[in-house]
Amino acid sequence: MTESNNDPEKIARCAMCADMCKYSCPTYLATGRETLSPQKLARLIVYHQQGLLEDNEGFLDLVFQSAMCGACSNHCIYDDHDLREFIHEARVKAFAGGVIPEDVRQRVETFKQFGNPSGERAVIDKGTGNTGYFISCSSYKDEDLMQATDQIIAAAGLPIRQFGGGDICCGAPLYYAGDMEGFRQASLRMKDAIEARQLSTLVVDCPTCVKMMTQIYKETGIDVNLEIMHTTQLLHELINEGRLSLKTARKDVTFHDPCILAYDLALADVPRQILTSLGFDLKELVYSKDHTHCCGGAYGAKIGDHGLKDAVTSMRMKELQETGAGTLVTACPTCKSVLSGIDMKYITELVAEMIIADR
Amino acid sequence: MKVKTYLSQTGVLPRGFVDRLRPIVGDEHVSQQESDLISYSLDYWLYGIFLSQKGELPALPAAVVSPASAAQIQEIMKCANEFNVPVTPFGGGSGVLGGAIPLHGSIILNLQRMNRFLDLDEVSLVAECEAGIMGANLELQLQQRGYSAGNVPQSLFCSTLGGWISTRAAGQFSTKYGKIEDMVLGMEVVLPDGSLLNIKPVPRRSVGPSLQDLFLGGEGALGIVTRATLSVHPLPLRTVKQSFVFPSIETAVDVVRQVLRAEARPAVVRIFDEAESERYFPKIGSKVTTIFISEGEPDYVAVDGKTIRRISRENGARSAGEEPVNIWLQKRFDIGLGPVLMQLGGVVDTIEVSALFKDAARLYRDMVASMKAVEGVLEVSGHYSHFYPQGACLYVTFAGMPQDPMRYYRDSWDAAMAATLKNSGSISHHHGVGFWRMRYMTQELGATGVELLRSIKEALDPNGILNRGKLVDDRKQ
Repeated sequence: MTESNNDPEKIARCAMCADMCKYSCPTYLATGRETLSPQKLARLIVYHQQGLLEDNEGFLDLVFQSAMCGACSNHCIYDDHDLREFIHEARVKAFAGGVIPEDVRQRVETFKQFGNPSGERAVIDKGTGNTGYFISCSSYKDEDLMQATDQIIAAAGLPIRQFGGGDICCGAPLYYAGDMEGFRQASLRMKDAIEARQLSTLVVDCPTCVKMMTQIYKETGIDVNLEIMHTTQLLHELINEGRLSLKTARKDVTFHDPCILAYDLALADVPRQILTSLGFDLKELVYSKDHTHCCGGAYGAKIGDHGLKDAVTSMRMKELQETGAGTLVTACPTCKSVLSGIDMKYITELVAEMIIADR
Repeated sequence: MKVKTYLSQTGVLPRGFVDRLRPIVGDEHVSQQESDLISYSLDYWLYGIFLSQKGELPALPAAVVSPASAAQIQEIMKCANEFNVPVTPFGGGSGVLGGAIPLHGSIILNLQRMNRFLDLDEVSLVAECEAGIMGANLELQLQQRGYSAGNVPQSLFCSTLGGWISTRAAGQFSTKYGKIEDMVLGMEVVLPDGSLLNIKPVPRRSVGPSLQDLFLGGEGALGIVTRATLSVHPLPLRTVKQSFVFPSIETAVDVVRQVLRAEARPAVVRIFDEAESERYFPKIGSKVTTIFISEGEPDYVAVDGKTIRRISRENGARSAGEEPVNIWLQKRFDIGLGPVLMQLGGVVDTIEVSALFKDAARLYRDMVASMKAVEGVLEVSGHYSHFYPQGACLYVTFAGMPQDPMRYYRDSWDAAMAATLKNSGSISHHHGVGFWRMRYMTQELGATGVELLRSIKEALDPNGILNRGKLVDDRKQ
């Protein structure tokens, strides 16, 4: 992607709205800083475009302080507007000009060296079949999740080819850093990894990876021609088809909606259907489903940081703890990792715990 | 700075002032960054928004300070008095009269870190919150627990509890649940000198004049509301939606008068004139339309709905069913047209006034006619909302594509205010005064009323520190 197709009228309109989405913005709510509210950010983007800002570096730093979670676009009074597109455009300019926060720079450096945001790692490639299971970068580091995934696959008797690690990454960290050439290369490697395995369906446990592969790749001219689903959709299918023999739970559970899963993939109901079918008693948060808040680890805030991640994470942890549920569960490996301080599980782990050993 | 200011110059802060603020709130909560100064330069005063397109802002604050507690605000106010630095409180920034614009070299006191939902007392039906909580989040918190505050302004998603109190606000369901002054039972306020006033929550008191009424409409000029206790209601068990088409505004207003006289209390009553009806309800077209929403206990709602139906039919109304109500419910927060018009060079705004029933229909006719006579006008339309057994709020929207935007804007306001005063109405029902409506305050309150208000301001804030240039002129300015 080189030139932007973003319509300047849309961002100018956003800059004149009454900030009707600000109540939903996690960075604004966690900091109480008007400047991070969507409309004020839009005004600053417009002023930057008009050359009205003196503190260019301050502005470019600011555009890395969005969680890019989609709360604003989900609650926008205009149907055709997504502020994230404009924030991303500003990040691309910041990256091109070399004005990026230090931790973003370090992440990009690591990515350039190892082809992923974590560093050196072995490739995992196991199982057979034309259904693939992509182990995302966050899941790769999560042994409990990988083990639970293996248990589910074995219990359901699924022919699935699991792969991940090495330099196979959807490229999201580079996309959010504004490094579009790096992102293009990463997405091409991802496409090759999928095509080399001759898959017809790909299951992915990270909502951000799903968003990249189903939405952002298309926008940037990369076509991965196969069905892509999130893990929760697979689990839902397996349970509905009776392919897993499961115990019935009698516990309270609170589900943390990952922002991308709820806002971009519109999959808030699927994990709830899984949990209730297992007999869990859902204790809903005030800020759930269409009103969920980012965990603080969404790539925007995570890479921009400045203490913002901690503020957003702390807010979310308090919100989650308020339900009093004994079990907290999510469907994003990054959320799980960021919220580990309150003992968060990935939904696959919860389902695996319910498997009756001898069918 | 490259952005221009047109109402006030940015203040030059006395040496040592910012250094005194930092330990009070922490370094990271005092800012003089360009992005923060721009973001706190303007609320939702629509003429200011119109000019902001070109990088013209009314005023830039000298600094932004963001406290997390009433104790910190007390320290900040003591410091501001010591250094004689004016302070403008900033809540959600959704006020439409410029009440949060940092005039006269002021700093911004940002209240948005104080946004916690503190407690729900289900026995007494009250909830306590910090003043910076956004309206929508207050409602999400309450609705999760099976309650609602019943205050649903169009700004629900961008305004705060403190802002509602300070502007004496009202919401769309006010005919049943009341306005903010009916809802607040107690509050905590930091006074301009930094002292703390606690008004405990009770249903009523008889201990002299109501002190909390100083701050219900105090516009952040008499004190800073930091937390409040307000009434809540169980979520309604049944809702009845009705709408009727009337032959004229006069008939529609009179029917609502009769409905309220018969002691029906629908939560929502709105009468749309022909222009607004056509915009909202294309199927009905250019006819006066009234919508009613009755909600609550099923038996009560059934009687309410029946009373409304009977009186409407007796007065020649034609039922238009539930559909217009559903359309309104769907569109009621859609403010999208305003920014689009402003992008095209249009000037837009809204004005809300109140009058007794005997004057209400005539006020509409006079106000719309006089505003339509202003050079550059494109459209003037109106609706009534917020009804009482004695009268109503009239809410007019106007748009123009004038050669001289400020002249059109001022002339439209002058015309609206003159029509209101001529018809014995009040110049504001629920948006408040800010700085823009101050020019009409003498006509509204009389010289004695303004002098009384000024005396109250000076007694509470002898240095004129708090929200200088709002609500009432300060003799010291």
